[in-house]
Amino acid sequence: MATKARIIKRGDDTIFQILVNTFLVLLLIAVLIPLWKVLIMSVTPLNFLDVKAYGLWLDPWKWSFEAYKQLLSHPSFTRAASNSGIITIGGVIVNMLLTVPFAYALSVEKLPGRKFFITMVMIPFLFNAGLIPVYLVVNKLGLIDSWWAVILPGGINIYNLLVMKSFFEGLPEELKEAARLDGANEIQVLWTVILPLSKPILLTIGLFYAVAHWNEFFNAILYLNDAKLQPLTILLRNILLAANMNEYVEYDAFSSASVQSIKSASVFLTMLPMVAIYPWIQKYFTKGTLLGGVKS
Amino acid sequence: MNKVFYKSMLALVLLALLASACAPVASPTAEPAQEQPTAAVAAPTDKPAEPTAAPTEPPAPPEIEVVDLELWAGGRVSEAGPPPDDWVAYDIIREQAKVNLKLVLLPSTQADQDTKINAAAASNSLPDVFMVSRDVLYKLVQAGLVAQVDDLLPMMPTRTAGHYFDADRNKLATFDGAMYGLPDPGALPQTDSLVIRQDWLDKLGLTAPTNLDEFMEVAKAFTFNDPDGNGAQDTYGFCAFIDGSGLAQAGLGPRFDFIYGAYGVAGVWNLSDSVSLNARSEDYMKATEFIKNLNDEKVIDPDWPTLKKDEFRARWKQGKCGIMIENFAALANKSNYKDFDENFPDGQWVAMDAVAGPDGEASMGTVMKTARIYAVSQKAIDEGKGEAIARFLEWTASDEGYFLLGFGVEGENYVKDSNGYVVTEGIAPEMAWTSKEMQPLTQLANMVYIFTDVEMQARYVAYKTKNGRDMDPKAYYAEFLTKPFTQATGAGVINPPSNAADFVRFYSENIVQFVLGQKPLTAEAWAEYIAGLDSLGAAQLEADAKETLLQTGFLK
Repeated sequence: MATKARIIKRGDDTIFQILVNTFLVLLLIAVLIPLWKVLIMSVTPLNFLDVKAYGLWLDPWKWSFEAYKQLLSHPSFTRAASNSGIITIGGVIVNMLLTVPFAYALSVEKLPGRKFFITMVMIPFLFNAGLIPVYLVVNKLGLIDSWWAVILPGGINIYNLLVMKSFFEGLPEELKEAARLDGANEIQVLWTVILPLSKPILLTIGLFYAVAHWNEFFNAILYLNDAKLQPLTILLRNILLAANMNEYVEYDAFSSASVQSIKSASVFLTMLPMVAIYPWIQKYFTKGTLLGGVKS
Repeated sequence: MNKVFYKSMLALVLLALLASACAPVASPTAEPAQEQPTAAVAAPTDKPAEPTAAPTEPPAPPEIEVVDLELWAGGRVSEAGPPPDDWVAYDIIREQAKVNLKLVLLPSTQADQDTKINAAAASNSLPDVFMVSRDVLYKLVQAGLVAQVDDLLPMMPTRTAGHYFDADRNKLATFDGAMYGLPDPGALPQTDSLVIRQDWLDKLGLTAPTNLDEFMEVAKAFTFNDPDGNGAQDTYGFCAFIDGSGLAQAGLGPRFDFIYGAYGVAGVWNLSDSVSLNARSEDYMKATEFIKNLNDEKVIDPDWPTLKKDEFRARWKQGKCGIMIENFAALANKSNYKDFDENFPDGQWVAMDAVAGPDGEASMGTVMKTARIYAVSQKAIDEGKGEAIARFLEWTASDEGYFLLGFGVEGENYVKDSNGYVVTEGIAPEMAWTSKEMQPLTQLANMVYIFTDVEMQARYVAYKTKNGRDMDPKAYYAEFLTKPFTQATGAGVINPPSNAADFVRFYSENIVQFVLGQKPLTAEAWAEYIAGLDSLGAAQLEADAKETLLQTGFLK
């Protein structure tokens, strides 16, 4: 009887697994189709008479990389890409420099005024200051037209801070105590004990920050007046709009690729770095968020 | 060892990044500003001295101080960058207009521009001169953040004569009888009109339709009689999409407006004395019914409710469309036409007359005078920059400013032919003002273009098609200008209601549902639709619109 029940249970598990996997595969397809379509459109040649311009299939021998060539050779694109790189790398460094020590400090239970600091942290988490006050602060600090303007206002993301704090709290207290007994101060404890054990959370939070900085758009629109400082997202937006705006002009900026291809190629190139980084960090990703999200 | 090395490298990278981020952003004009006093003294010596009564030494010309001006303007080419730091125009503007210009290119969309300007306004850090939409300008006027510009006009006579001569356009920047913005000419009027595939007409032995019945017949023939001769039924008589946005273009938008024009109800507004929504008219329902017939007969590209502009354009370039409303430059400029030409060297689009409705009325749609409004911040006036702003704007309207900002440097980016027209013969392709490399040099062109003959000749260049046919975008435009349009500039000053998004959505979605047959198109259903509009405040909107039109002088 018990065996029969086990068999039924195992059968239920199998059906459940099949259903879940089928659902995930369908979800994956739903995610991949738009990406594939963007890729195909980006390699559709200028003369697209005999191919359906918005179809999903295009014979590989008809692929044209002209749109990519045009984009990569465009001075605005390379400059904007390097700006995005600087904002992302610089932003992540600043974020980690601010978030890690703060999270560690808050994770130390005997920190004087810990509750007060946590309360102070929670207030802006729950009540956003809004656009205008932040703009005023950035303006008064003289940060307009500097990369600080897009890096500093998001220097600490409270959600990320709390996740990291929870992760630190979950580390064995004995390790920290041992280091302290050996004469290490808190900075040394953080550097020599905590950080080497925190690779998953550092990479996970780092990825969160990196994606946010790579996608930086709104702050850049507001604070970066100098177009030479603007990131890729703004250029991408401009390119996406160009098809609608350039009808009145005689310019022939992208002469050997269709507007649709240029738009798709710019979308693809913009998302590529984040898509490429993700698999390398994925193995830490689940672990990092799981450990950070559960307090033992 | 490795750890120490990595830590050292990390520290170095960190320091370098912080240092680079801390470094002040180079201003394109900061360095040369040191030389300004010299230029300021030297420049006036070029001008003849005023005769004086006393036989004494001529008075020294007044030294004009170079003034810093920050200008936020819309760039001409959205994806191109700003002018380089060593842009020759910066020096010339400093010398000629005594202005140290700091140029900021605004974001490319209206919404982003509005956000940026609103944020700057809220922190009282508006630039000295900035391009602004009418709606935002209206709010800034109410907040007292922008200055009246009537006093500036006499200080820049050339620019005023060339840019601000149109009383109707000036009304777009006029509030309570005073001008609070400088309304530069926006877009060319009557640029979008009906065109038809002449080669398809010839192949099927047809002539261009002149009324709605003929339009339907030709559309059917284009759809079902294989006009391209490829043996497949892959063409449509009529192609369109839902174009435009906002209250002034609610409904199906300008691509369908010629049908409403045939019933005498083009556009959203009836701007006669009554000032009412055209949707209240029975003719509006009849026009919608005709569009529904086009849809039911399957002679219109069935994707019209969801097509985007670039997708629509891909369709006609793929040879799917027989009749359409299209912008003359989007149709015929070489940069746009080349795809179609590549695919169909023998294809030929010709301008078509507006089709007449049952009562003989015909209109291609509405025509509105549009403006790029430049506002001057009150802060700039309070700081005494009014004269400098006028000097700068006047310089942009001079021959030097016009050609430099509009086309680049003569001899480097363009030359003038014997007629004085701007051409690029003899100019290296990458140096030509139309090349992508030189696009940053003409980002301020929209500040100086006023649609002169020189511009039209330079911007809309004639060329030969693949099979040697002459192609001239200007010829299309000249044809379009002969077509009947319905004047609707007044609609541009009608302020949208507070629930504009809901109102426009209801207005437009119902029309689409009527056409697609998702709602019965009956008198009762139409009355319900109008009642729905009224429940969203249509009557109040009409009353407010009438008041605004009376205030602005569009209605007497």
